[in-house]
Amino acid sequence: MDTRAMRDPWQEMRRLQREMEHVFTDFTPAWRWPLTGEYPPVNLTRGDKDISIEALCPGVDRASLDVSVVGETVTIRGERHAEPGVTDEQYHRRERPIGTFTRSLSMGDRLDPDRTQATYSHGVLKVQLSRVPEATPKKIPIQN
Amino acid sequence: MATMTTTPAAASTRPERSERAARTISPPVDIYETEKTYVLLADMPGVTPAGLEVVAERDELIVRGRVERPATAPDYQEFELEDYYRAFRLTEDLDTDGISATLRDGVLRVEIPKSLGVQPKKIPVRTE
Repeated sequence: MDTRAMRDPWQEMRRLQREMEHVFTDFTPAWRWPLTGEYPPVNLTRGDKDISIEALCPGVDRASLDVSVVGETVTIRGERHAEPGVTDEQYHRRERPIGTFTRSLSMGDRLDPDRTQATYSHGVLKVQLSRVPEATPKKIPIQN
Repeated sequence: MATMTTTPAAASTRPERSERAARTISPPVDIYETEKTYVLLADMPGVTPAGLEVVAERDELIVRGRVERPATAPDYQEFELEDYYRAFRLTEDLDTDGISATLRDGVLRVEIPKSLGVQPKKIPVRTE
């Protein structure tokens, strides 16, 4: 899949991503996500007051799927399970990644956890983040 | 021996149809065999039941998934949704009439029972 060139505002985010993200744990290397090793892959759209994230992660155990917001960072966690009771020998082909994943993204703006919404539908996780409005500068009177 | 191999979409010898010529992604799959069935799991995020097509034709199983592409491009992009297409060769040991397919959270699950003739059959032993 092609990744388009990023605009400048996201370069900082990408640098922070590399510092913070984790890759699959308990994960057989042969099935790692083939592109960049970052899972799930995300698309971001930045609005005036909000940021929308779409993350491509089909087949995640909904009980394990977790989105949390702290400061400027949103973290997505989840687990994709192997088929229960099926041994390695039974497989003819195995291409789908399994295991637990954690991905943290730093947005560069303070986020409001109370106004964050997440939905998971058809294998796509959509997170609507709200940016905390910048505080209006408070004018300090100068006293003699 | 029952097998299921994958046919790369690019190497299809079927007559060209416009949907095949459109850009598609081959979904990653797991295929495993149990005593009585073959199970295929395919990651097809973004596909709804209305956009999914699973067809068993003669010796081929064809999986197609349509996705809805967003109207505007994102500001930062790591993935791009494309329609899915993948074909698999089936052997005659499989009972295509008994195929079942379900789609859940972007994962397609296809189960094909083995023809009764090849399922291990327990022979009752009579004692005289």
